[in-house]
Amino acid sequence: MTAPRPRLAALAVAVGLVLADSSIVVLALPDIYRELDTSVAGVTWVLISFNLVMALAAVPAAHLARRIGPGRAAAIGLAVFAGAGVACGLAAELGTLIAARCVQALGGAVAVTAVLELLPATVGSERRAVTIWAAAGATGAALGPAVGGVLTELVSWQSIFLIQAPIAIAAGVPVLAVARHEAETGIVAAELRSTGRPHLLANLALAMISAAIAAALFLLVLLLIEGWRLTPIGAAIVVTAMPLAALLGARIGPAAGGARARAAAGAILVSGGLGGLALLPKAEVALTLPPQLLVGVGLALVLSALTETALVGRAPQAIHGGWTISARHAGVAAGLIVLTPVFTADIAEQRRDAIDSGTAVVLDSRVDPLLKLELSQRIDERLEGERGRVPTVGPAFEPLPEDPEDRSEVLVLRDELQDQLDRAATHSFSPSFGLAALLGLLALVPIALARRVEL
Amino acid sequence: MNAERGGGAGKLLILASAAASLTLVLAYLAAGGSSYSPVTVKDPCEPREWRDPGSLEEIAEQFSLSALDGAACELGVTRETLARALATPQSRERFTRRYGIDDAELGRAIRAGLMRAIDDAEAAGALPPFLAEPLRETVRQIPPEQAIELARNARSLLDDLQGFLDPAQDLLERFFR
Repeated sequence: MTAPRPRLAALAVAVGLVLADSSIVVLALPDIYRELDTSVAGVTWVLISFNLVMALAAVPAAHLARRIGPGRAAAIGLAVFAGAGVACGLAAELGTLIAARCVQALGGAVAVTAVLELLPATVGSERRAVTIWAAAGATGAALGPAVGGVLTELVSWQSIFLIQAPIAIAAGVPVLAVARHEAETGIVAAELRSTGRPHLLANLALAMISAAIAAALFLLVLLLIEGWRLTPIGAAIVVTAMPLAALLGARIGPAAGGARARAAAGAILVSGGLGGLALLPKAEVALTLPPQLLVGVGLALVLSALTETALVGRAPQAIHGGWTISARHAGVAAGLIVLTPVFTADIAEQRRDAIDSGTAVVLDSRVDPLLKLELSQRIDERLEGERGRVPTVGPAFEPLPEDPEDRSEVLVLRDELQDQLDRAATHSFSPSFGLAALLGLLALVPIALARRVEL
Repeated sequence: MNAERGGGAGKLLILASAAASLTLVLAYLAAGGSSYSPVTVKDPCEPREWRDPGSLEEIAEQFSLSALDGAACELGVTRETLARALATPQSRERFTRRYGIDDAELGRAIRAGLMRAIDDAEAAGALPPFLAEPLRETVRQIPPEQAIELARNARSLLDDLQGFLDPAQDLLERFFR
C-alpha cells in the first residue's frame, strides 16, 4: 500500500478535481455558447447536466463503493472521469458535450464518495477525514471558475476538460494499491452496515444554499463577460474575490460559534451579498467586490457547518457523504434550472430595452441628422454581430468627425449610448440575483427548524 | 443540529452578518441601485415637445422625428423600432417580416407620420399656418409607392424631408426674420 501522505494528497486532489468540475466550466460557457452555436439556455445544460447526474448518482455510487470496495470504486470512478473528460474536450457539438458531462459526473460521483470511505483509514480519524474531504471539495469548487477562466483564455475551453485526464489518472495511481489490497484481502462485504437516515434538514439547507451560491457565480460570470465585456481571464481575476473571501471565512469559522450559528450567519451573508449584486448602482467591477466578500465568507461558514452537521457522528461516511453531495449538486442544478428561464427572459427583454433606449439616445442627440442615420446603421450592425452580447459601441463612432463641435457632440452621444447599454445589461441580472438572495434566505427555514427539532 | 458551542459568540456572529448584509444593501440602495436602469422609450402616440428649432436644418430634423413618431403610432411600434427599421433595406425587411406589415401599410403610416409632423411643427410655431395647409395638401398627394420609396432608403427620407421644406425656404426665412 502507498504511504499515507502521498495517498492523502492524491485523495484530496481527486475530491477537489471532481467537485471543481461543477463550476470549472462557468467561465468557459460564453465561449462554448459561441463556438457550438447554441442558446444561453442550451449552454447552461453543460453545467446543469453534470450537477444533476452528480445529485442522482451520489448515493447509489456510495453504495457501490461500499459493495465493491472503496479503493476499487475510486480507481474505476477516476478512470471513467478521466475518459469522459477527454470526450468532453473532443466534443464538436452540444449534445455530445452534455452526454460526456453526464458520464463524467457518474465517474466523479463514484470517486468522490469512495474517497470519503478511504480517508478515515488514511488520516486515522473520522472527524479529520470529514474536515479534509469537505475542505478539498470546497477548495476545488472555489478555485474551479478561476482555473477554467485562465485555461479558456490562454488555451481553449476544450483544454479545461483535457487537462483533467492526466490529473485524475495521477490521483488514481495511489488508489490502485488500495484496490489491489482489497482484491487480495476481500475485506469489503464484511463491513456493510445499516446506514441510518440522512440528516434531512441539513441536507435541505445545503441544497437551498448551493442553489443560491451557484446562481451567484453563474450570473456574476455572465454579467462580467456578456454584460460588461470582460475577457475570461479578467472575469476569472474578479471572481477570485469569492474563493479568497471563502478562505477568510474558513479561518474565522470554527472559532466563531457552533454549527447552527455558523450556518445561519453564512446564509445571511450569502443572501446579503446576492442582494448587493441585485442592487449594483453602476456597471463597475469594483462594486462587485463587497458583495463577493459577503458571499465568499458566507459560503465558507454555511457549507462547512451544514456538511459537518450532516456527517459527524453518522455512519457509514460514504453514504452520508453521498447525501451531502447529492443535496449540494441537486441545489446547484435546481438553482440553474429555475433561474435560467427567468434570466434568459429578462436578458432578452432587457436587450430589446437596451437597443430601444440606445436608439432613443441617438435620435434625441444633437449630432447632425445624416450622421445619426449613419451611426444608427453602424450600431445596428454591431448589435447584430454580437449575438446577444452587449457590444462596445466605441468602434461604431470611428472615425470621429473632424469638426470640433461635431466631435464633442459625438463623444457625448457615444458615452450616453454606452451608459444606456451598461445600465440595461446590469439591470437585466437584478431579478435573478434577487431571486437567488431569496433562496439563500429561505435556507434559514430548515436551519431554524433543525434547531427546534433537535433542542 | 450539533450541540451549540459558544452561544454568545454564535449570536454575535449572526448579528454581525445581518448588520454587514443590511449595510451593503442599504448603501447600494442609497447609491441608486434600484434606479440603475435604461431610459424607457416614450409612447409615440403621445405629443413630444419640439426642441427649440433655431434653424431650418433643425426644423427639418424635428420634423422627421415627429414624422417617425406619427408613423410609429400608426403602426403600433416605438419610434425607435421604426427608426432602426428604416436604417437599411435589410433592417426594413426584418421589420416587415417580424410585424407582418406590408409595403402599402408602411407607406400609409409614413404619410400619416408626415401629417402629424406638420401638425406638430405648426403647434410648435415652427411652421406658419399659411405654409402648413399647402404642405398638408402635398402630403395628401404623395402616392403610396413614393412613401414606400422614402421608407426604402432612410437617407433619402431625411434628404427628401429637407428637400420637402426647401421650396418654402425663402418664405420661412422671411417669416423667421
